Amino acid sequence: MTSRLNQFGYHTIGRRQFLRAAGALITLPSLESIAKPLAKAAAATRPRNLVSIGTYLGWHQNGFFPKEVGRGYRLPPILEPLAGHQEDFTVFSGLDHRAPNGHGAWSNFLCGSSPKTYSMDQIVADRIGQKSRFPSVQLTAGTGEGSKAMSFTKQGIGLPMIQRPSVFYKQMFMSEADKERMEYMLRSGKSSLDLVLGDALRLQKSLPQSDSDKLEEYFDSMRSVEKRMAHQIASINDPLPTTDYKLPDSDPITPNLLMEAETLMYDLMALALETDSSRVLSFFIDGLGQVFSFDGVALKSGYHGLSHHGNDPEMIRDLIAIETAHMHCFNGFLDQLKEKKRPNGKSLLDETIVLMGTGMGDASRHSNDNLPTLVAGGGFRHGSHVAIDASKTDAPLLGDLYITLMQRLGVETNEFSNASRNLNHLFS
Amino acid sequence: MGNKFLSVLLFTCAAAQGLRASEGTPIADTHYDLLSNYCLNCHDEAERKGDINLDHYTVDWTKKENRDLWENALRMLQEGLMPPEDKDRPSQEERAILISWLDEHLLDNTPLGGTIPRRLSADEYRSTIRDLFGLADYELPLGFPKDSEYHGFNNVGEGLVLSPPLMEAYAKVAEEIANTVYPPAQIAPPSTTRTAGPEEMVLSFSAAKVKDDALLLVSRGQEIFRSCSWPSRMEIMASGVYRITVSAAKHKPVSDEPLLLEIRARELSASDRSRAEIFRLLKVMEVPSTTPNSVTFEADLYEGQTLLFRWANAEMDHDYTEFAKHMREWWSRDSRWLAAWQHAVFPNGDFSERRISVLRGLNGWNIITEALANPDLDMNNATMDNELTVELLKIANSNRGMFNLADVLCHYYFTNGPALEFHQATIEGPLRIVDGPREMLAKKLQQQFTGNRKPDQSNESFTREILTGFLPRAFRRPVDKQTIESYVGIAQRHWEAGNSFKDAMHLLIRNILISPRFLYRVASPGEMDDYDLASRLSYFLTQAPPDKQLFKLAHAGRLSDPEVLRGEALRLLPERPSDAMILSFTSQWLDLKLLPEIMPDPAFNFSGEEIATAKSEVEHFFAAMLRDNLPMTDFIDPDFTYTSLKFAKENYQYIHDGISEVKREYGQEDPGLGRLPMPRGGRFGGLLGQSAIMMATANGVDTQPVLRGVWVLENILGTPPPEPPQNVPALTPDIRGAKTPREMLAAHMDDKACSTCHRRIDPVGFILENFDPVGNWREVWPKVNAPIDSTGVLPDGTHINDITEFKVWLVDNIDLFSQCLAEKLMTYATGRVPNYAEREEIEGIVEANHAHGNGFKDLLLALVTSDTFRTK
Repeated sequence: MTSRLNQFGYHTIGRRQFLRAAGALITLPSLESIAKPLAKAAAATRPRNLVSIGTYLGWHQNGFFPKEVGRGYRLPPILEPLAGHQEDFTVFSGLDHRAPNGHGAWSNFLCGSSPKTYSMDQIVADRIGQKSRFPSVQLTAGTGEGSKAMSFTKQGIGLPMIQRPSVFYKQMFMSEADKERMEYMLRSGKSSLDLVLGDALRLQKSLPQSDSDKLEEYFDSMRSVEKRMAHQIASINDPLPTTDYKLPDSDPITPNLLMEAETLMYDLMALALETDSSRVLSFFIDGLGQVFSFDGVALKSGYHGLSHHGNDPEMIRDLIAIETAHMHCFNGFLDQLKEKKRPNGKSLLDETIVLMGTGMGDASRHSNDNLPTLVAGGGFRHGSHVAIDASKTDAPLLGDLYITLMQRLGVETNEFSNASRNLNHLFS
Repeated sequence: MGNKFLSVLLFTCAAAQGLRASEGTPIADTHYDLLSNYCLNCHDEAERKGDINLDHYTVDWTKKENRDLWENALRMLQEGLMPPEDKDRPSQEERAILISWLDEHLLDNTPLGGTIPRRLSADEYRSTIRDLFGLADYELPLGFPKDSEYHGFNNVGEGLVLSPPLMEAYAKVAEEIANTVYPPAQIAPPSTTRTAGPEEMVLSFSAAKVKDDALLLVSRGQEIFRSCSWPSRMEIMASGVYRITVSAAKHKPVSDEPLLLEIRARELSASDRSRAEIFRLLKVMEVPSTTPNSVTFEADLYEGQTLLFRWANAEMDHDYTEFAKHMREWWSRDSRWLAAWQHAVFPNGDFSERRISVLRGLNGWNIITEALANPDLDMNNATMDNELTVELLKIANSNRGMFNLADVLCHYYFTNGPALEFHQATIEGPLRIVDGPREMLAKKLQQQFTGNRKPDQSNESFTREILTGFLPRAFRRPVDKQTIESYVGIAQRHWEAGNSFKDAMHLLIRNILISPRFLYRVASPGEMDDYDLASRLSYFLTQAPPDKQLFKLAHAGRLSDPEVLRGEALRLLPERPSDAMILSFTSQWLDLKLLPEIMPDPAFNFSGEEIATAKSEVEHFFAAMLRDNLPMTDFIDPDFTYTSLKFAKENYQYIHDGISEVKREYGQEDPGLGRLPMPRGGRFGGLLGQSAIMMATANGVDTQPVLRGVWVLENILGTPPPEPPQNVPALTPDIRGAKTPREMLAAHMDDKACSTCHRRIDPVGFILENFDPVGNWREVWPKVNAPIDSTGVLPDGTHINDITEFKVWLVDNIDLFSQCLAEKLMTYATGRVPNYAEREEIEGIVEANHAHGNGFKDLLLALVTSDTFRTK
């Protein structure tokens, strides 16, 4: 299948037809295409960052999906905090990965129909991440249970997440003492490598030919470690970004301080993008039994308890209060991205695709259908609620949206998990 | 035409040339004629069907690639897969001639052995680090690369590739271990005073509530997230002595007894699901009155800790037995109270609706308060013998139901008391620095690593002594002087450059753990020696490096003595279901590793707990088979199974006949799982009658006879079918449900190309169709609603009606299974798939074992002393 990205401008006539076939129930966005004259312009205006954010306990669908379709919709309660940015994002309903249900399959969020496989953010990181100091960064706020992961390598290995803001801060803005320790570790490690390799060589020589060939893997791998160390040593005195941003004295890692943790992580993510420390960030918002208080009043139950609301209206009201609080934090992030201007005059938000979603469509039933999804920034034309009728055969998948996001970031791909189309037409 | 002629000419020349150059054994005319009649039509130089060319005049049997080619041909002949049915096929006699010719040459020319140097598998690597440093609970970091599988096992040489990302992970682990043994120095921060009031405390579920400037605690439950509270911003940054002041009071007391407030030190990183008792108790504070009083004391607090508060003598508990007892008493003395709870859980006054999970906390308490205030509250059911009450007590007395109700009851106490009022906690310090767990552990590890320094011993001599002891353990064999000196050199250069002795040890650990001598197994030159044998035996049976005794025997050159080897195998044999070898081998051989990933369709009502039980059943079963040296036939049709009574009733149609409990053999380790007698000849029991196996061979949603058939051929019968041709699409389940699986798969039998293999695969798959995706019995195919047809014809012509008949057939042909399991064990033990000659040796062992009682333990021991096991 050819990339639709390269067909911008050729598709306008057939689009209505296509959308009907694809089962999308949208009022068509007005379409001054941002990339009508193709590739060159596309490359110049291409966003360079991807931020993927997922909540473990999902988003309450009725509080997240607008009632109206298309532009000018009335903001549903959970999205109300984003009122100032309504033209900066698009809400999607009806998209999912056709993945299995259950909490165990949560990681379908970025992985597609097979949980715990090569995740979208890592696909992007492997293509464009090397251009910055940290090819990708995985963060989390809040504590839940067990070891979870949102991002998975090509081999399907779940990547550990940084929970403490102070740890991420220290990595980005290293103190002199940290830098010294790192330099010591690198230099001492590298200088003794020769002896280890010398001994390894003696071992290799003592083996018969076929066995000694097998050991080449070891030497190849060591060479790559050595190269990485040499590169790090060479760049140890490169100027690191500095900041006057200060973190509080202690890390907000207790579950009741989830919103504070989110706020700090958003601040740090904005700093990471601004300083080009990393271009691919993923952020997991965990949740368990913590009881939140808003305006001095404790909610009726813990976060997890509320997510199993069983359609009790009061439980839902409290759940929406928590999710609205998440969006307040998120709004602060969008504010920062919009304020921060790049040297080329564009805002950081224009250069950053922000995906906000979840792998859990309805936590009350542990269903992974109809995943609440929102895309902000990235230079797309926004402002709509795109409602997909998933009951239609051939209805678009969430993976189709991901293909569009990836293509926009310069990853030339026409496939993701079970998806092989794209939703470029919705944004053009 | 001309081209073809040319190519034929070229072939002839090439063949002639090959003939001259080859030093192989000529193929006798008898054999060549048979090949020519039945094989070469498709598999000659010109056709090369399936990229197979059997057209040779001579065969150099010493070359592995030639042996592989002919071994494959032999297998095809033996299993009747080739020539295909629609071609001319050799007579029985002709087949026998070809088979015995190939068999003879393969046996004569296949040398035993051939394990390539392989790195430790991730599991082996982890247990080796545990063993080497005495870090019993060490776990690999999240994100550590996984091993790839080869022939079903993750410890086979061909699959154990070392890649740059893995090397990076090794280097990172090495650094982490070095930091654990020699942590960077602790720097004392300035002393500060921090205070936490009720607003800075964690509220988890219904464990606590802020009311009138105080935090109320009401439950003595052990699970901290249901009963305790702790400050949000009081994480200790440096281990030290701290001055702690806590103030608390009684809230609406009902007696003069003082309340007891437990103050413990919890790690903030510990799970909130942890039990309070695992955290170090600092103080039990007596709270005598309704006006706040405070207590000040000094205590050690360690890095990463904070305070944890629990009301130890509260009225209510989150333990379900205690909770049910408490509620039973209360309900029996207050019928209005009972009626209100009945209304909350059964709002219609009958079983038509039942709400438990939505009751969560205050929500449920509001329902109960409303009910209590309602003058028309339905009192008709409010007696203790009423069926709603009985059900209510059942919910209160179950782990899952209890916490929903108990979290509601907490709000009764928040409203009416008694409760414990927490007012404030202050921590001042550190008054002075003390060793925390990290430093204490480090000191112990350093002592283990270095031993004692002799008086006046120089750094250099001490280091040499340390390495002389440590390197042979790390490298699992004697280490020559030159190697030791090269490591001494690393340390020496380091302190000469101005670093400390400890820095040098830190650096040594980082280096030793990335040496190929540590990372690789079987990296000795020449033939397999006693040290290699010690490693092979030890990793096979314990997944860990050789212990002192194995080392001693290897050093004395005695381990290669078969009797000694057998004795050591007996000593190291796993006994408990939780032993590493049993967990690892069963999860790989029987694909139990898939279980945690399988999410059964909710329709099966099969919980995560049940999945864990199912997996554990197989491990218990395997452990007993080995420990008790049970006959191989018990793998198929035993008179017992390991399970829980509940699981057996719900999944194995087990009818309670006077047995009220299973026989537990491992103490409290697996509560509820034990030995249950079962009559032989039934549907359940044995490998093919256990839930876990049926689950691992399905996908949680539906079953596919082909997948199960292939699985049985591969893992029970040891005759895996060849890979399916590339261009055949998998049969996908027909969602319109018009056809039964039987009808869908009939296509396999009609197509000659398919039928050769599927004639063997499909019948076995259909026999197992009576087991649904979680291993429960079913008689009807879902969706199509047709009776399941489990009949089939086995490759030897035997008609089979169902699983019980298949088990009879397997028991009659038990050596097939024994051979399969023996080969799997050998693959796992040696890190290579047994070759033709090795399989022959195993066959001899299986037959001899059959003649002597056919015990499983005997078989395993015989394998260990075989030439195959003892060859590199």
